[in-house]
Order: sequence, then structure tokens, then C-alpha cells
Amino acid sequence: MSGECHISSLVIHSRPDRVSSIVDSLSLIEGAEIHGGMDTGKLIVTLETESESQVVERINAIQVLDGVLAATLVFHHFEPLQERD
Amino acid sequence: MDLTRRTLLKTQAAAAAAAAANVVLPAEAQNIATGEDIQLQWSKAPCRFCGTGCGVMVGVKDGRVVATHGDMQAEVNRGLNCVKGYFLSKIMYGSDRLTQPLMRMKNGQFAKDGEFQPVSWERAFDEMAKHWKRVLKEKGPEAVGMFGSGQWTMWEGYAASKLMRAGFRSNNLDPNARHCMASAAVTFIRTFGMDEPMGCYDDFENADAFVLWGSNMAEMHPILWTRVTDRRLSHPHVRIATLSTYEHRTTDLSDMALIFKPNSDLAIMNYIANYIIQNGAVNREFVEKHCNFRLANTDIGYGLRPDNVLEQRAQHANDAQVSHPASFEDYAKLVSQYTVEKASELSGIPKERLEALARIYADPKTKVMSLWTMGFNQHVRGVWANHMVYNLHLLTGKISEPGNSPFSLTGQPSACGTAREVGTFSHRLPADMQVTNPEHRKHAEEIWKLPQGLLPDKVGYHAVQQDRMLKDGKLNAYWIMVNNNLQTAPNTNNETYPGYRNPANFVVVSDAYPTVTAMAADLILPAAMWVEKEGAYGNAERRTHFWHQLVNAPDDARSDLWQLMEFSKRFTTDEVWPAQILDANPEYKGKNLFDVLFKNGNVDKFPLSEIDPAYENRESKAFGFYVQKGLFEEFASFGRGHGHDYAPFDMYHQVRGMRWPVVNGQETRWRYREGYDPYVEKGSGVQFYGNPDKKANIMGAPYEPPAESPDAEYDLWLVTGRVLEHWHSGSMTMRVPELYKAFPGAVVFMHPDDAAKRNLRRGQEVRIVSRRGEIRSRIETRGRNRVPPGLIFVPFFDASQLINKVTLDATDPISKQTDFKKCAVKIVAASADAGDQQ
Repeated sequence: MSGECHISSLVIHSRPDRVSSIVDSLSLIEGAEIHGGMDTGKLIVTLETESESQVVERINAIQVLDGVLAATLVFHHFEPLQERD
Repeated sequence: MDLTRRTLLKTQAAAAAAAAANVVLPAEAQNIATGEDIQLQWSKAPCRFCGTGCGVMVGVKDGRVVATHGDMQAEVNRGLNCVKGYFLSKIMYGSDRLTQPLMRMKNGQFAKDGEFQPVSWERAFDEMAKHWKRVLKEKGPEAVGMFGSGQWTMWEGYAASKLMRAGFRSNNLDPNARHCMASAAVTFIRTFGMDEPMGCYDDFENADAFVLWGSNMAEMHPILWTRVTDRRLSHPHVRIATLSTYEHRTTDLSDMALIFKPNSDLAIMNYIANYIIQNGAVNREFVEKHCNFRLANTDIGYGLRPDNVLEQRAQHANDAQVSHPASFEDYAKLVSQYTVEKASELSGIPKERLEALARIYADPKTKVMSLWTMGFNQHVRGVWANHMVYNLHLLTGKISEPGNSPFSLTGQPSACGTAREVGTFSHRLPADMQVTNPEHRKHAEEIWKLPQGLLPDKVGYHAVQQDRMLKDGKLNAYWIMVNNNLQTAPNTNNETYPGYRNPANFVVVSDAYPTVTAMAADLILPAAMWVEKEGAYGNAERRTHFWHQLVNAPDDARSDLWQLMEFSKRFTTDEVWPAQILDANPEYKGKNLFDVLFKNGNVDKFPLSEIDPAYENRESKAFGFYVQKGLFEEFASFGRGHGHDYAPFDMYHQVRGMRWPVVNGQETRWRYREGYDPYVEKGSGVQFYGNPDKKANIMGAPYEPPAESPDAEYDLWLVTGRVLEHWHSGSMTMRVPELYKAFPGAVVFMHPDDAAKRNLRRGQEVRIVSRRGEIRSRIETRGRNRVPPGLIFVPFFDASQLINKVTLDATDPISKQTDFKKCAVKIVAASADAGDQQ
């Protein structure tokens, strides 16, 4: 309903032994996509959401996943949906 | 948005994150699009919030900040941003932003019991000056005061210091940083003769172990926490130990979490010192060459009002700061009482775990970084706690080299720069100088081109004392800038609010938003904030970081710098300086205070043409010279040549901050160590050159109990603090809708067994009651903070739940910093009936 598309990216520091279970959990989070970093435990993840508050919600959800040491925002961009659709 | 664009943006986002994390992505994902698709002008600035000092890039469009992101070039955060920093662009645009002066009026006149009405700056300053002049005339300089901030820019603090000390001749100037890190600042001086850490953030990448003392870094310093976790992940031998009085995000993520009983950190540290001595782990050569031993006066009271029984009973309440020279043997004897059994009994931590912690410090091969913030500093023995951690590093020689670093974190963006380096404490002058030292005053008078003997020699009222003196009617003209003291001071209902509303007092608050403090004032002045002015902050690692004015403040809002300087024009020297000084120095007679303080040939030295033409600078235009540059260069002349050197002003606009001392254009990462610090003499290895004998002090002190502990009636410990989403009193972050929604109202974190014992349920409304006052809140038995039985945690950001009505105004007797972490309360259902029905 907001008519916006928000693209943001995160670095997720993960315990190496938990990376695979964190990857599984991330696949269940709407709009989250993993781009790499599995080998170092620093996962590079983008989020696609409809609002900024959803960005905060998703980060909070990711931060409490077992094995996540820190989830930190790096980039955020938003624009109206209709502009391009 | 079409699919290709979406993919492009995601690629760009992922590449930015990868670059920040130093992660290599597949080749096709590495191209950051450089073409700007929305026309933004990007400039650098340090973040407005905590003391970490992250660099952010600020995007401006049509005179408005519309975006911020982590600055890839900033060494502190390398492109990362925490959730508060991420929404920085919104803090200036809350709907209730103050845009014009507001004064309490009745029938067109100022009235203490009137309603707030808009007035012009002219009118506001007229009324204010009238009260200042009346108070100065009737009672003298000791009845005027100012409460400033570690959020002031450095030149704002500096201008305030000049106006108060040299203009009004009063040292009743203190920053809210008194509540935040006075214990740390005082102990630096007592131990090393110089303030601020010897190490820096580069220690994160060099330590083998991190010991966090009373610091919830994962929530409070999230960006520094990513540097800790980065180190931990990339080097499997690295360990993190966290000591706290309750479990939180950081303890969850640590290798060792040690939950101790409030105040017993003193016993734990003395035990570790004892362990180091007993196990032959003392670095004898280092200690003999570089350390002195002293024993502190004990039984020093709790900084309460002098008539309090706890003060009257204390043997050394009046000379708490005194210590005596001692030997290694004296010190070893003192700490020998702290056996592992005693430490375990006092702290509640099992013996094996205490021994594991002690081994980290004792093992000569383990490089240790100790980190602390409010758990140590907001402590009735905060100075001792700071001493005790330095003792561990000094005994083992683990100091002033990469990875071996006792490191005091700070909570405000310029606690170091403005409160400490500029010297806005009631006892300090710039560059660590003291108001009680005649040589220091003379030096300041020379640099400021003022008559000799002008500066007052008496230490002024510190933060808590200011509140008490307002209440007692001894401090009558009072200006509060960039802080929300009615929400953040202790025991506010009894000790703070009465002073603000005392009819004998005229209280002025400069702020950007109508905080509870502003609403309790007589006059509210609308302030410009952050990038609405040119600024400088100094972060926790001695990094000085500048920014330009990027947007204009709304309507009549003006920077604190403009307010301080403009207000000075209302006074002449004849009105504020004693005749005796003017008679001896007739050239100063009848001069405008503005001319004497700010048109002195230093501050007005640099013309407007030196301002970067790409940026606005309102204050400079108002006064006709480059004020920020003139103030900074005059201030910098205090420290150059003796270990407090800053780079030239213009350089700071080019770089992402530099760590002082900056000598020949080079910053200093590790002080006191040869090879890193240009002030250490060749061949000496280490010199703690802040002290005349170039040695650091190992200070012996015992465990002493807190001012108030739970008893049969008030049966719980109350600990207050912050949460990730909100910064301090929430006056900025509560106005960002996303942050508000993420953590909208304070709750009481309580152990489920404690709730059950009191027949309380999760979510139930309760009263938190102490001997001072009470508030209502709601029970939370789950979530991110898990407290042990017998202790509750309540954050203080929520203006609708002023937990500081409940806290105790006990301070460390040496640093005068309040202990917000320990007092006794009880919890009862808000409505007894409702509780019984369930």
C-alpha cells in the first residue's frame, strides 16, 4: 500500500558453525536475498521491502537468529513503485 | 520499478555491503554504479549520536537532508551504520521542532507562572540579560550557571567556557558528560596525568581477548561491536568475556558471560590483581620503570547532601580524592585479602570462572583489550573501578601497544572533544588544565588576552550540585544547552524539578525539541542541530572530526554558538568584572563583552573569504568573520607543543578525522610508547609523560558497599540504561517513526520468578517505587534483557516514564558522577484489585 520499494543491504556476522542454519533461516525472511560471504561468516544480504519500518523489523528478526553476532546496515535506497512500473 | 532496475539496485546494495565487510563477491556483482540517479549533494559528517564517531555521508536535496549512509572512507566504521545512524536524516524533521523562542508570559510580561508564548530573539535576550544582570549584581558570579553538553560542538563548548569563566567569572559550568564519563576522565588524570585513552580502535584488530566491564556493546556501540566480532571470527583463538549485572545481547554473543552482584566488580578486579601477583605474572621490569604505587583514602561516602547520615558517618567524605604514596608490598597486601573465595562470595560468580578470567590478564602472551562504559563510570566507586582496571594492565605491562589496551568508551559524540579537551567541566580549562592552578589560569588569561587575575580560582558547581543549589536558591540564573537534564538527572522529583520552578530562579533551555526539561524552563530558545551548523566533535579514540553546514535550520532556530556569542553582546565589562580589575587594567573599561571575548584578534582573525564557498555558514556571516576557525585555532594554541596537538583547522575538513596529538601532520595511534608517540624520548621505551616523573600510578583501593542496597521493604536492585533503538533521553530518536515503532515505550525487565512471586504477569502495569518517588510501567519477563532474580532493568529514554524520579542522587565522591545502576526499589501492581482478580 505504501507504493514504495526499499532496497537495503546488510553485513551479517555469523558464527562459522552456524552459517548454514542462518542461511536456511534467512531464506524464510521475506525479501531477503544472500549474495555471498558464506565462506568468511560475513554474509552479504539484501532486503527488499515496502517501507523503512519493515527494514527495522527484518533486521531485528535477523539479529536474534541463533549464531548471528551482529547484523549491520550498509546501504539503503528507496523510490516510488509507480515511477518505473 | 522494473526488474532490471531492481536487480541493478540490489547489485549496488550488495556491492556496498561487501566492500564495507571486505568480502569478495562474484565478479558480476562488484560494479558499484557511480552515476547518481537522484540529484543529491553528498558531504561527510560524523554521526550525531554516540561517542563511537562513525563517519556518515549526508545527502542533501533542495536544502533538506534526505539520505545518509555509512562512509566507506571513514576508518571508524568503514561504511557500516547502526540503526540509529541509518535514520539520522530524520532527526531534524520531527513535527514538533522548535522554531522560535518561547517565554512564559502573563499580560504581555514575563511571568514564572505564565504560559509559553512566542517572542522574538530580541525580546528573549532582553529578558534573559535582565535576570543575569540582576543576579550578578545581587549575588555575584556564584549565582549564575550553565549546564552544557558532550553534544556541543567543540567551538560551542569553547565559547561557553569563555563566556562563563572569563565573561561572568563563574566556574559553574558543567557538561551532562558529568553523568556519563566523569569517573573515566578523573581517573585518567589521576593515573596518567593526562586525559583520554592511550590506545585507539586499531586495538580491535590486534587483541587476543576482549573483556567488557559493564558494557553492552552489541546494543550501545554496535559498530565497534562488529569490529570485535570480525576479529573473533577471523581469528579463532580470540575470546570475548563480558561482565554484567544482567544478561543482554552482548553476553549472549560472548564466549564467557559473568553475571555479578552489583558493586562487586571492585572485588573481582582486586582478586585478579591478587591472582597476577600470586602467580608471578607481574611484569617486574615494566612496573619498576614506569609505575608508582599509591593507596587511596577509604570510607569516602557517597556524594549525597552533607547532612545525609551516610556522609556524616563516612570518615573521608571530605577528602575522598586524597591518596598516599605506597610500596608494591603495601598494594600486594591490600589485594591479598581478595582471594578467589572472597571474590566469588561477593560477586556470585563461580570460582573456576573467575580464575579463567584472571588467566586472560595474567598470561603474558594474551593481548587484552578491556572496554567499559556506564557500568564502571556510573558507580559510587567509579574512580576506583577505573583505577582497578588500569592496575591490571599496568601490573602486567599490557598497555600502550597494539592490542594491549584499557579502553574507556564514551556515550556522547563529543564527550572527549568538548567536555574534556575543551574543558567544560566546573574544574577544568582547555588541554587538561585546572581552574585551581594559578599557572594554568595565568596561561589561559594570556591566550585569551585578558587581565591577569580575572579567571575565578574556585571549582564551580558540578551537575548534581547545580540541581541542589537551584533548589536551595543559591544558583539563580541558569542556562541549559543540548541536554535533557530533567529526564536524565537522578532523583529529579526531589532534586531537579523543584530548582527549575523555584521562583527565585530564571531558567533558560536551548533545544531543538520541547523536551521535559524545556517545558519546565522559563524561556526556551530554539536550537540549530547537527549539520545545520559547521561543527567539530572528538570521539572516544581522540579523533577530531569536522563537518560543514549542509542545510539551514528552520525559521528562527539558531546554533548554540550564535546564541552564546550574541548574548555576550548584552554585557559590558563594567557590568560583569570587579572595579579592582578594571582600575588596574583601564584599557578594558566600558568594553562590550563580545569584543573582549570574541573580537580579541584571535577569534576574529580569519575572514569570511576563508570559508569553503560550497557551504553556507550562518554564524560567520552574522558576526563577519570565520568564527569556527578563529575559535578552534585559539583553542588549539592551548595544547600545541605539549602532547595535545591538533592539526591546522583546514586539514580537518579534508580528512575523516585525525587522532591527537597530531605532530607534523601525523596522527598518534598509541600514546606513551616509543615508536608510536613522538613525545616519548628515544631509548626510554615507555613514558607516561603526563606526570612529572613520567610514571603511571597504580592505586590500591578496597571493595566498599553501594549507597543503597535492597532490604526487606525495597527488595530489588534497580539498574537503568539504554536500548539500541534510542539514544539517551530519546528526544531525537523518539521522533523517528521507525525507531519509535521498534521500541515505543519503556518496560520493566524482570525475572519470571520475581514476577510470579509478586503475582504479576507479563504486560501488567506496575508501580516502581523507591524512597524518592515512583513511576508506572509494564512488566517484561522475556526479550533481549534477561535479569537475574532480585534485579530489574528500566531504560530511561521514555519521557512518559521518568525512571529518574525513582533513582538516587548518590555520586562517586571523587568524580561527582551519579550512580544510575544501583538503588533499591519495590514493585507493586498498579491497581491492587486488578492484580488480585487474575
